[in-house]
Amino acid sequence: MTKPEKLDHILSNEDVLVPSSGFVESVMERVREESAAPPPIPFPWRRFVPGIVLAVAVLGWCGSKLVRLGLPDLNEAFLAQSHLSGSIVKPLEQVGWVALALGLSFASVLVARRMAGRSGLL
Amino acid sequence: MSSAANSANDDLAEVERVLAGEVAAFEGIVRRWQGPLINMAWRYTRDRGRAEELAQEAFIRAWRALAQWRREGSFSTWLFALAANVFRSELKRFPVENVPEKAAVEPSRPASQYRELEERGRQETLRRAVLALPMRYREPVILFYFQEMDVGAAARTMRLPEGTVKARLARARALLRKRFPHLEDEYAAMEMAGKEVG
Repeated sequence: MTKPEKLDHILSNEDVLVPSSGFVESVMERVREESAAPPPIPFPWRRFVPGIVLAVAVLGWCGSKLVRLGLPDLNEAFLAQSHLSGSIVKPLEQVGWVALALGLSFASVLVARRMAGRSGLL
Repeated sequence: MSSAANSANDDLAEVERVLAGEVAAFEGIVRRWQGPLINMAWRYTRDRGRAEELAQEAFIRAWRALAQWRREGSFSTWLFALAANVFRSELKRFPVENVPEKAAVEPSRPASQYRELEERGRQETLRRAVLALPMRYREPVILFYFQEMDVGAAARTMRLPEGTVKARLARARALLRKRFPHLEDEYAAMEMAGKEVG
């Protein structure tokens, strides 16, 4: 900047606010409250993980049942079109469900961690 | 030793004491930085009550995150960056009542007997017009003119490259000049009058 401009002059020359007399005390009161409070309860992973795995498994199972009920001819049509035998398709299907369940579990964990982080639990 | 160096030493010593479990040592940090943080928050809000609330929130977050301060940077830069984050996120949740950019019109030339009063009003209008800028331009203006921060310090506080901050600052100035077109003419006239008197 070669010369002071009025814009700079106005924006850099502001009246300075003096903090109110009780400001430090109110901050320290909150700090003392925080330091006296018990440490946050750790997230109950041991209870949470089996529960979420079970829930995802049940959801997956229900989903698969619904799909089969809704599209009964899908499997047969798929088997007829592809030249894969039933003994290969079955494990592949199970792997797919396991992958879906794992994906959902991972997403749930991410969402839970994000929510806990936002609320200051982590 | 300069006062800045003294202050940096005090900050370091008090942070160490707080981290060692001495809660009361945080009071020194609050006393030393309450003014700058409240004034910084004031520039984000132009509301005294809100500024103190935001500054208090920033101190509490600093208290929680004190162990995360890496000693290679100055404590003040870390504190200002943390405070800027707090102010930004709090203002997203509960925005200040901004002056719409179009409402921040440059007042007409004041009558001579009220000139000083009008001049103060005009300056305040301009400062409030900063709040009407989009946040990406508003924040560089607030930080650059705050506490005599230079572009580098403002960039470190916003964790942005200096070039980006410079560009945003230039754009913000251009927007403000567009809104207050007679500012520079008047200043030039004032300077000229001053020289003639001198």
